[in-house]
Amino acid sequence: MHVMIVNGSPRVENLSNTEKIIDAFVTGLSECDATYERYAISKRSSWKKIKEAYMKNTEIIFALPLYAENIPGIMLEFLETLPAKDSNTRLSFILQGGFGEASQLDCGLRFLRNLPKYLGVSYGGTLVKGDNFGIRVVKEEIIKFIIPYVEQGRAFVRENGFKSKRIKKFAGPKYYALPVRIIYQFIFMTYAKKRFAKLAKEWGSSVPIDYKPWE
Amino acid sequence: MVLIIDTTEEKLGKRVVTELKDNKDISYEYIDALSLDILNCQGCNCCWLKTPGQCVINDEFEPVLKKITKARQVWMVTDTKFGFISYKTKNIIDRLIPIITVNLHFVGKQVKHVVRYDNKPDFGIIYLGQGDKDYLSYWCEKCAININGKSLGVYEIEKYKEAVLCM
Repeated sequence: MHVMIVNGSPRVENLSNTEKIIDAFVTGLSECDATYERYAISKRSSWKKIKEAYMKNTEIIFALPLYAENIPGIMLEFLETLPAKDSNTRLSFILQGGFGEASQLDCGLRFLRNLPKYLGVSYGGTLVKGDNFGIRVVKEEIIKFIIPYVEQGRAFVRENGFKSKRIKKFAGPKYYALPVRIIYQFIFMTYAKKRFAKLAKEWGSSVPIDYKPWE
Repeated sequence: MVLIIDTTEEKLGKRVVTELKDNKDISYEYIDALSLDILNCQGCNCCWLKTPGQCVINDEFEPVLKKITKARQVWMVTDTKFGFISYKTKNIIDRLIPIITVNLHFVGKQVKHVVRYDNKPDFGIIYLGQGDKDYLSYWCEKCAININGKSLGVYEIEKYKEAVLCM
């Protein structure tokens, strides 16, 4: 199997959570003797090269973060430039987001399920997982966030695509159970608030997190 | 104030403006967003952590964002692609991040970001072309919840007068 993987995030590669997820995923691909080629759309100067590779390859995965309940604007713009292909090409997706509940990604998932038909290609499934905000901001725990994607890379080769039973399990709970929500709400109002405020200071902010510049 | 943000080549939002002028006595503003230099969100998180509430991208979006924070309703007039809004409109929606904070809370059963301002605009779409109306309605509702507003619905451009009735 040879896989073309495109990072659909607008973030430059060295700051991209999606890029780190792809790092782990291709490790799994390689372990199962698949080959791959990687691209990122964040630099527009690379779009011509990516389009050429898109036309040449038949096993393609777009990995992307959820932005405003759907794909990022820059990826939508890139997709609008793609020529039509046929169903011999299979398009799959890795959709990731910051929130932990799988239901947070439903709206994006619903769009991605239909997207291949607009491009004339076949759909290979979408690997969905949230809870990835920490990849960038909790650097000491990055391995915890990305390691599970290594096995998903292996499984993609072994099972020839994203199979529904596996990816459903990988996505995690649709919603948190009530006791978990109560605990999280307490954490959000106490520890998380302080942690974000501390993080903002580390980033050089001199105003509170909830500062209102235009009020 | 009702804010109409138009990203269509044909300036179709002006039909809405004419209808408002003729039949409604309300405050409104029209923005021809296609004539503005509005870049895509780069996902830098600076508007949450480095310069809370302000985007660091140096383009013509900030005045638009300021108006959104004051508006009672925001209507996007947009072309469609892949059954969805155009990338030009999506770039604007992606750039709304500064009006929410990085802080979290539960809204119903889901975690959401806490909104930054007391004003919470409602949100609607008027579209041109082959939009997937069911999906657009679903997406519009989800986006409205994220800014603590309500969805005003999704209307084909031919039915813009129905949208004006909601304004």
